[in-house]
Amino acid sequence: MAKGALSGLKVLEFSDFISGSYCTKLMADLGADVIKIEKPGPGDSARSWGPFPGDKPHPEKSGLFLFLNTNKSSITLDVKSEPGRGVFNRLIEWADVLIENYPRRYMVKLGLSYHKLKKIKPSLIMTSITPFGHTGPYKDFKGCDLISSHTSSEAFGNPAEGVHDMESYSPLKGPVHAADFMTGLTAAASTISAVLSLQRYNSGRHIDISAQEALASVTRQELAFCLCEGLYPTRQMGRKRVGGFLYPCKDGYVCIWIGPHWQKLVTMMGNPDWTQAELFKNPATRAEHQDDCNKLIELWTREYTMAEIDRLGMEYDVPLAPVRTVKELVNDEQLAYRSFFVEIDHPVAGRCKYPGAPYKLSGTPWEIKRPAPLLGEQNTEIYGRLLGYNRRELAKMKQAGII
Amino acid sequence: MQRLPLAGIRIMDFGQMWAGPHLTQWLAVMGAEVIKVETRLRLDFMRMIGVPPGIERDNFNAGTGFASINYGKKSITLNMNQPMSRELARELIKICDVVTENFSGHILERWGLGYEELKKIKTDIIYYTGSGYGRNGPHQDRPAYAEIIEAYDGSTYLNGYPGGGPATVGVSPWTDATQAMHGAFAIMAALYQRNRSGEGQYIDAAMIEGSANFLGEMVMGYAMNGDLGERMGNRHKTMVPHGCYRCKGNDEWVAIAVNGQAEWKAFVKTIGSPAWTQRKDFSNQANRRQNQDELDRLIEEWTRQRNQYEVMELLQKAGVAAGASLNVRDIVDDPQIKARRFFVEMEHPVIGNITLAGLPWRAKGRKKGNYSCPPLLGEHNDYVFGELLGLSKEEINRLKEEKVIY
Repeated sequence: MAKGALSGLKVLEFSDFISGSYCTKLMADLGADVIKIEKPGPGDSARSWGPFPGDKPHPEKSGLFLFLNTNKSSITLDVKSEPGRGVFNRLIEWADVLIENYPRRYMVKLGLSYHKLKKIKPSLIMTSITPFGHTGPYKDFKGCDLISSHTSSEAFGNPAEGVHDMESYSPLKGPVHAADFMTGLTAAASTISAVLSLQRYNSGRHIDISAQEALASVTRQELAFCLCEGLYPTRQMGRKRVGGFLYPCKDGYVCIWIGPHWQKLVTMMGNPDWTQAELFKNPATRAEHQDDCNKLIELWTREYTMAEIDRLGMEYDVPLAPVRTVKELVNDEQLAYRSFFVEIDHPVAGRCKYPGAPYKLSGTPWEIKRPAPLLGEQNTEIYGRLLGYNRRELAKMKQAGII
Repeated sequence: MQRLPLAGIRIMDFGQMWAGPHLTQWLAVMGAEVIKVETRLRLDFMRMIGVPPGIERDNFNAGTGFASINYGKKSITLNMNQPMSRELARELIKICDVVTENFSGHILERWGLGYEELKKIKTDIIYYTGSGYGRNGPHQDRPAYAEIIEAYDGSTYLNGYPGGGPATVGVSPWTDATQAMHGAFAIMAALYQRNRSGEGQYIDAAMIEGSANFLGEMVMGYAMNGDLGERMGNRHKTMVPHGCYRCKGNDEWVAIAVNGQAEWKAFVKTIGSPAWTQRKDFSNQANRRQNQDELDRLIEEWTRQRNQYEVMELLQKAGVAAGASLNVRDIVDDPQIKARRFFVEMEHPVIGNITLAGLPWRAKGRKKGNYSCPPLLGEHNDYVFGELLGLSKEEINRLKEEKVIY
């Protein structure tokens, strides 16, 4: 087996649900050694989220958990107990990196603030993921995917094409858990830079990730338009300026990106007369009349099916795509050609199709070496072999509910 | 710039539009020397996006859209149609650690700058290529933009209000951002590996493959049960209430998420325990789910009397998650964003004083990272060709006249 790019990197994950787990999944799938600490009993709350095969809840069969925790080890530990904290500190001695996403005050109460932990290990990299960050007036405010989407201005810009009846429709959070994933990805990119610093200067640090900022960072272009141009999108029509509009067709919708591809689009539509009008030929006046232009394009799209328009788009090199469901995604020919989806066997959940590598590294490839762990699957291995607790000590800790 | 994580790393960046530039912006702020390769013959489209009032619309040094994703970098101009330009590019790559590009199509290979070629002149080069669909397969040459990928990966289908149609995701190019950050992560992982093994590698990143990871639970749901998912708006599978509610002002909104019975009790108390909260219809999460439309209307009667920050602070004090739904104008004055100095100010030679979003990452200590002004077109030609490649002033001038440096 080839070694992953991050093989040898030791990561301790003390987090719940998505942001911290996605962050460490990115590391584990590139070969880092990730130990995930879970609550004794229920474990990570992603275990109870689903989806479950046949919709029957089971802590070892949650799709979200299985996806987010590939290549990791799981141990159970009650960090609220005094001996539990002792074990935690032993794990900190082992780790290069700690990823956590608990409330700041909770970590302080547990005695697990960066300030305390760096005394145990001065070179520790600790990444804290919270809704608003560890400083500022909202540092102890609660949040979740919904709250980050809205406080970052991301939701105010969604949906993109404008709401006809502003009174009836509120700003909209992104689909599924988009905000949590973006926060986790931001944490991963930030943490890995500190890993490079550790490698070069042997210096650790605390990284303070605010979900609000991670999401606001995505709206940077609109923020620039607002601050420098005095422009800001309302929630009514016309907020998209150059492309990416949806058009209804015979059996669904297609998304077409006009921008600099206008001429190719005109040819694809068979040069309808209206496209020759001066108003639409000139990009500046066309942009001013984008709604009218879109209505005319729609007259054409309504005559075709999604598949027909998709084929024409390929033929005429126009950036477009049908609005597809996850079914078409999973069965996509391009992704099949690239062997994107991976089939993974899990001892309890069985065999299932998972999303694969977000990037293909030629020398040290992304790889699934093992499925998501059962709750506490590596207790014996890690407490025994790695930390050197003997069998009697382990039995005692188990009895006390610490592990 | 001392001891920034990527100090001493040099990157040759052929990125354009959004995803490529935002990727190298991360690396630049983290201390890498990013040399953006441009040409007057085919300007980066973003250079003319968002030119402020009072400046000519086609001034390619004044695009604020460009500025927002290109600060921290240097810019050179090379007309790659000329063999001499390709030769200069090869010379430069010899002193770089990383090459990045996100053209649609195999442009670098056409210029003789494909990975196999570059490996011969710089054995440990890290070569990142970002595209919509990946660099092989039947769709490899299709042009892609964020909205196209969001339609293709299923996000657009899931984005929208319950009972309504599909909707394009957000004004900002969401999947460009996901590709940029996945790419920054992958390149730094490859650098970590190179520092130990001395070997570079080729990184092929498809926007669709990064964005499909964000939809992991949907893929699993389809694979397990054939489930296609549904548009949920601001709602949630278990938490009720979980939504965005009208406030006092015009188009002013607040998001509220109540998790479990203890938070529900705190919520009820905070809104003054009106009689309706005692109804059986709302007694537990299951009942509240059943009567969610009515519940949301009743909550809005309360939020409507208040402004968004008032609601946010009242509920947060009671331990309930709530947040003002901000637009891009309001977020500039958000107390939290301000306290954490999320925005950075720069003095731009053409635009003047500009304020831009910083990165959500900060360097150790007080210094925030390398936030130098976004480069003017070809601003660093003399530095790069003179100081780095050792060409004389006369040679550089001749290459400019011959439209090599152009």
